[in-house]
Amino acid sequence: MKITKTVCTVLLAVVCMVAMAQDSFAVQPGFDGKEIRIAQWGPQTGPAAPWGSVARGSAILFNLINEEGGIHGRKIKYFVRDDQYNPAQTKAVAKELVERQGVFAFVGGVSAACGMAVKDYLAQNKVIWCGPSTAIVEYVFPPQKYLFGVYPLYEDEASILTKYLVEKKGFKKIGFFYQNDSYGKNGLAGCKQRLATYGMKLVEEIPVEPAEKDLASQMLKFKNSGAETVIMWVNPTTAVIALKTCATIGYKPQWVSSNTLSDYPLMYKISGGLFEGVITGAFGLTPDSSNPLLVKYREAAKRMAPDERWGTFFLAGILFAEPFVEALKKAGPDLSTEGCLKALNSIRNFQGIGPEVNFSEGVHQGTDSIQIQQCGPGASYILLQDWAFNDLATWKKK
Amino acid sequence: MDMKREYYEDIELIGSGVVLFWSAVLLLFLFTLPLYVPNYHIYLLNVIIVHVILAVGLNILVGYTGQISLGHAGFFAIGAYGTVFLMTHFHVPFILALPLAAFIAAFFGFILGLPALRLEGPYLAIATLGFGLAIMHVIGTWDIFGGRMGLHAPPLDLGIPQMGFSWVLGSDVSMYYLILVIGIIMVVGAINLMKTRIGRAFVAIRDSDIAAEVMGVNLTIYKTLAFAVSAFYAGIAGGLFGFVCGFFDPFTFNMILSIIFLVMVVVGGLGSILGAIMGATLITYLQYDLLKNVSEAPYVGEFLTNISRKWFTVIGLENVGGIALGLIMIGIVIFEPLGMYGVWIRIKKYWMTWPF
Repeated sequence: MKITKTVCTVLLAVVCMVAMAQDSFAVQPGFDGKEIRIAQWGPQTGPAAPWGSVARGSAILFNLINEEGGIHGRKIKYFVRDDQYNPAQTKAVAKELVERQGVFAFVGGVSAACGMAVKDYLAQNKVIWCGPSTAIVEYVFPPQKYLFGVYPLYEDEASILTKYLVEKKGFKKIGFFYQNDSYGKNGLAGCKQRLATYGMKLVEEIPVEPAEKDLASQMLKFKNSGAETVIMWVNPTTAVIALKTCATIGYKPQWVSSNTLSDYPLMYKISGGLFEGVITGAFGLTPDSSNPLLVKYREAAKRMAPDERWGTFFLAGILFAEPFVEALKKAGPDLSTEGCLKALNSIRNFQGIGPEVNFSEGVHQGTDSIQIQQCGPGASYILLQDWAFNDLATWKKK
Repeated sequence: MDMKREYYEDIELIGSGVVLFWSAVLLLFLFTLPLYVPNYHIYLLNVIIVHVILAVGLNILVGYTGQISLGHAGFFAIGAYGTVFLMTHFHVPFILALPLAAFIAAFFGFILGLPALRLEGPYLAIATLGFGLAIMHVIGTWDIFGGRMGLHAPPLDLGIPQMGFSWVLGSDVSMYYLILVIGIIMVVGAINLMKTRIGRAFVAIRDSDIAAEVMGVNLTIYKTLAFAVSAFYAGIAGGLFGFVCGFFDPFTFNMILSIIFLVMVVVGGLGSILGAIMGATLITYLQYDLLKNVSEAPYVGEFLTNISRKWFTVIGLENVGGIALGLIMIGIVIFEPLGMYGVWIRIKKYWMTWPF
């Protein structure tokens, strides 16, 4: 009796161990004759879920390529993993994808912290990461062998926007409202650098904490400074509070913002229509553009994901992945990580639905160009200025 | 079955030869685990043990003392930031920085324990919730802590670099052994603590704080002590977490994390250390691994993907993950109020009386 029991228990333990050991151990090289494995993490659920559409957008591009027969005969197998905007989970999914699924490369990837948590791990494992969905200076300077940035840096964007405001709009009094972290400060630096070339100064610059809910005193300061235009480098919530506060105190400057707020339908809705007229930078063509490539993607999205909203971030998922797909095509049928890196480094003047992208051995920041767009009536997109690069970009002079 | 004949039998750490044998088997299993599991799961194991340490500590507060906390992510953050800060700014070696940071967390636990003397139930929940949020925002505004951009953990050096003795743990496996040893010490510490006068005072407070006071339990001391001990555990867990993750920002320690911690304890079984261990293991495994990889599961994966596409939002399968986690919580709370510990007791009974 007692022996049976012990035997049973031991058997159970052995079965458990065998079950665990059965998991595949082999690390795959990232591709084989039939498929190339590409992955992306993104917050599908949790507090940052709205940004999850970036990862789903990339799927449209990969599906489209697969429909056209793949790249040199290989289909793309695409993995999306939900990390809930939590770096600890990002690391877990990255390890699982690299070591179990054997992915060749990552594209996109929302959240600075999540990316920072896995950046070194990916480099150690020689996994290419192309087009992170955030502009982080540490990603691209100094250049990292396996990491390629497509997102324009905030400094460049602010500089181009300021140039437009001064030269095209003729504004003399500019205020700057920024989130008190590197995102906001980078924007501020770009704006100041541009103003210095005109011998101008900001009439008011005010930092804000992202959790601040009462912005009355800040907005009054802008009003009293007489700023004709206020550039904001803040998050969507802060922007909406600022717009609403100014509406109540009767202050109507020309609002300008970074591309972070370029999802007009969303901003229009949460600001109750106050977002109309706001000028923003943009890293991609307007969603309603008649650019043939964009039309092709739009039709594909309608067909493959009819329930998705064809918005800026969904579209961003496509444009962050485009340069990498281009590199895969250039790398030829004899694929390898080194070959793909070489192809990436030789990308020149590549234009998809985003800015023109250039990579080289020494510069992995692909672009410094943005478009300038304005929110029209009913959250429509108005193109104010086509792609323009930043002639003052500090990193290009090095 | 578990007949105790005298008091000392009740407070023994290891009650019988059977327990000793299986404990040894378990330890052997844990120490050889890296041989059986693939490397990417070692990281998951590290996160699990970190969460186990935290859940055991939280259980001392919630399960044994009957005080609720929705702010444990705050103590977790203090542990993580404290350890890294002490190491990078004051060059304190890791072996000292970790307990020091945990004591800082314990101090904050003591502070938070003071209002707990006057607050109960939902009011205490709100107060602790506020604490967790405040810590997140305060850390975010201080540039010295990396602000909202976050902080890189330095290399995990077990030696004392100032004295020319360095022992850097680079791989997940070496980190696993460190975390495992600390985890075992913390768990055994908790088991022992609950068998002392202090532990019994905690339980007395949970059962009836007025009766406990009448019997001579000093509520001021023991309630704040429960918070401090619990925060100490969270601090140790947080300090280890910083190195497991390698990079963290204040938002990592958000309110949802506090709630997940509480879920671990409730699902595992309130007032049971084994329960806290099981709860932390299950919830972490579900959250970090199983529910993420459903789409690649044979047969079910595609089926579930299609269902969620059709009936839920465009997000797809992640909906199923959230729903499954929620259902497991609801199911356990309804059908097994003792949590997984209750299930364990029943399994144990079944085997002990098998085949009857």
